[in-house]
Amino acid sequence: MNATLWSAIKSEWIKFRSVRSTWIGLATFIVLTIGIGLLVTFTISGHINDHGGENRIGFDPTVTSLVGLFLAQFAVGVIGIVMMTGEYASGAIRTTLTAIPRRLRLVAAKKVILAISMFVVSEVTVFAAFLIGQAVYHRVNIGTSLGAPGVCRSVFLAGVYLTLLALLGFGIGIILRTTAFSIMVYTAILLIIPVIVNFLPQSWKSAVTKYLPSELGQSMFTPHGSPSGFSWLPALLVLLAYVGVVLVAGIAVLEKRDA
Amino acid sequence: MITIDHLTKRYDDTVAIDDLNFEVKPGVVTGFLGPNGSGKSTTMRIIMGLDHATKGAATINGRHYHELATPLREVGALLDAKAVNPRLSARNHLRSLAASNKIPYSRVDEVLEFVGIASVAHKKVGGFSLGMSQRLGIAAALLGDPQILLFDEPVNGLDPEGIRWIRDFFRSLAKEGRTVFVSSHLMSEMAVSADEIIVIGRGRFITSGSVDDLTKDAKGSVLVRCSDGDALRATLGDATAIEELNDGALSITGPSAKDIGEMALRAGVALWELTPQRASLEEVFMDLTADAVQYGHHVGAAQ
Repeated sequence: MNATLWSAIKSEWIKFRSVRSTWIGLATFIVLTIGIGLLVTFTISGHINDHGGENRIGFDPTVTSLVGLFLAQFAVGVIGIVMMTGEYASGAIRTTLTAIPRRLRLVAAKKVILAISMFVVSEVTVFAAFLIGQAVYHRVNIGTSLGAPGVCRSVFLAGVYLTLLALLGFGIGIILRTTAFSIMVYTAILLIIPVIVNFLPQSWKSAVTKYLPSELGQSMFTPHGSPSGFSWLPALLVLLAYVGVVLVAGIAVLEKRDA
Repeated sequence: MITIDHLTKRYDDTVAIDDLNFEVKPGVVTGFLGPNGSGKSTTMRIIMGLDHATKGAATINGRHYHELATPLREVGALLDAKAVNPRLSARNHLRSLAASNKIPYSRVDEVLEFVGIASVAHKKVGGFSLGMSQRLGIAAALLGDPQILLFDEPVNGLDPEGIRWIRDFFRSLAKEGRTVFVSSHLMSEMAVSADEIIVIGRGRFITSGSVDDLTKDAKGSVLVRCSDGDALRATLGDATAIEELNDGALSITGPSAKDIGEMALRAGVALWELTPQRASLEEVFMDLTADAVQYGHHVGAAQ
């Protein structure tokens, strides 16, 4: 690795680990993912055998144990957003850019810190949520295991999905600069656009829906693939492309703009 | 050495900097003087690679700021003391800067000690007063032991003791052969702290030179009210420039208040008022920038 990039990474790591908001964000993410997973798996395991097993139709032990990430993905996005908007909120960006004047190097350093830390934390958290969920299910014999076809891959990709969403938030933060506006846009992408798409004519809807980030996530962490969407590999590639485009746009904007 | 070469900065329809050309040399304190809004900060931000020039260039030893591999070791700047993440401690703030430019952490404690904030190094920067933030900013500027230093309005927020300290500090930096570039909108401040002065107004170059050069022609005046203006005029002689003001007071340029008082006594003229006027440097500056004040009508209305 380029020595100056390594220095920039060390510098960014000091900032990342030294501010309390990083740890609050990560704790919120972990608690949401595991807590909601527990709540949902307990509720399901208590009612799964009601109505003579009818409830089992469409039941997926992997996806339901990971359901907490539908909320946790907002915590992840905010961690990524604040990575850049926090610098603008305080004006610290001007000090940062005098120390690391190459915009590309700064973004690369932040991206490395964010990607590695979010990947590690996300993987540990989703595997923990999965295993805890299956432990709950095994009491009523409806659980699955990491050895079942596609399950280990799905849980792993759930962690990848969250890491990519953090990077998506980061890219949005670079472009928009303010925390509030960035969170609004990020939330709109994950929550509001799917609702709008729902109102489109049926033929458009099915074509567009599968490209939505939340839908791509579903495709990635559902062991048997989502019925109307992509299989896991194209879903992963499309999401990677989104993140790539947003980051490239972010770097271009950062290069052009006065700090 | 900082070189400003045909530097121009335009925002949509306003011109912030208009074809500036000058050099800032090592070994002296160079003052960058101009009214508020005259483009001093913008020029400094362009030197530091934060803002982009519309035309022309600002270079450091012949290179653009972003071309420097470890810029903090070549240029140190205090542009905005509050431009720091408030949730970081002073030490972690400086450590992150040190890490980015391969500066050993031992240097962090050295500069904290030097500016006198070592005892609060573990405290969050958000709780710092402006004076403490200024000191932290100076520590950050010195971190890489750079040969070139820029300070934008450094005396703002400092107490009188701090102001004295910083003047001596600039002198000592210059004496070590460093390039020291200090902006201010106060001529009186520049007169005591700078060796060379560059004056700009409305983004345009006005004049430059040593403090002595700029004040050579300007002499202090004394405001006098007395019982017999004509008698006093006769005593002072035709060579003395005497201007009669609207209310009958005289503005006398040349002799000191002491001389005027003694001559008035000899002439038997009773003095009702004898007031040395505002620092002549200030007037030089006002004259120089009068046409170039951005919001001229405000100044006019105030007078």
